[in-house]
Amino acid sequence: MQVNLRHNDNIIILDIEGNLVGPNTIGLKNIIDNLIREADGEQVFLILNLERVQMMDSSGLGVIVAAYASIRRNMGRIVLLNIGGNIRSLIIMAKLVTIFDRYDTEAEALASFQTT
Amino acid sequence: MGEKKQLKIFLSLPSTMQLIYLLDTVISDILKEMKFDEEVQEHVNLAVIEAGTNAIKHGNKEDTDKNATFEFLIDDEKLTIVITDEGPGFERQEVANPLDPENLLKSSGRGLFLMEACMDEVEYEAKGTIIKMVKYR
Repeated sequence: MQVNLRHNDNIIILDIEGNLVGPNTIGLKNIIDNLIREADGEQVFLILNLERVQMMDSSGLGVIVAAYASIRRNMGRIVLLNIGGNIRSLIIMAKLVTIFDRYDTEAEALASFQTT
Repeated sequence: MGEKKQLKIFLSLPSTMQLIYLLDTVISDILKEMKFDEEVQEHVNLAVIEAGTNAIKHGNKEDTDKNATFEFLIDDEKLTIVITDEGPGFERQEVANPLDPENLLKSSGRGLFLMEACMDEVEYEAKGTIIKMVKYR
């Protein structure tokens, strides 16, 4: 799994490539944990671009749910970008569809931070 | 009446999560060969990965002296997968429901639920050290 980190003003975009399954999820967890730690209690605004993630299991979902909980605690926000059918199905099954904001384009995802 | 044909594939893995990709490779090829719909393939693949994680991580505690075994039984009607671990087992009814509002934002505890959601049948035997999952064609 590979993660590319970009910034757009104060919004962090993580482009994730590969399967978010089992031990492959540890890298993403460490990156998000570091971002939250470096923010030192300040708000974190994060877009997870999942366009190149073909498969995600409960471990991957757990990393994203944990990130959501941590980021929300400091009044930040995390959104999902470009999720495929299998990840959408996983989120629906886990009843997390109302928890995560999801967008199909990066422009929409970025714009959503202007209205919150 | 002719005898029902059944193909059996057996995989035994030392208990390290680094080998879960092997399980992914095997089940992906079986599902393609059985010509399940793409969405069904994704669901069964997920269920098998979850069952493998359960056996290796939670059952065998990633002890590489212990093996997790996977038996894939293919016939005209269905795919049956039997997963066995060498752990102490667990009681299914004692595992919290991840859909309960107080559990929704927990980072773990969804594996069994996803297995059951993705397969047509899931049975727990020998205190959950043997799990039998079925997907009908």
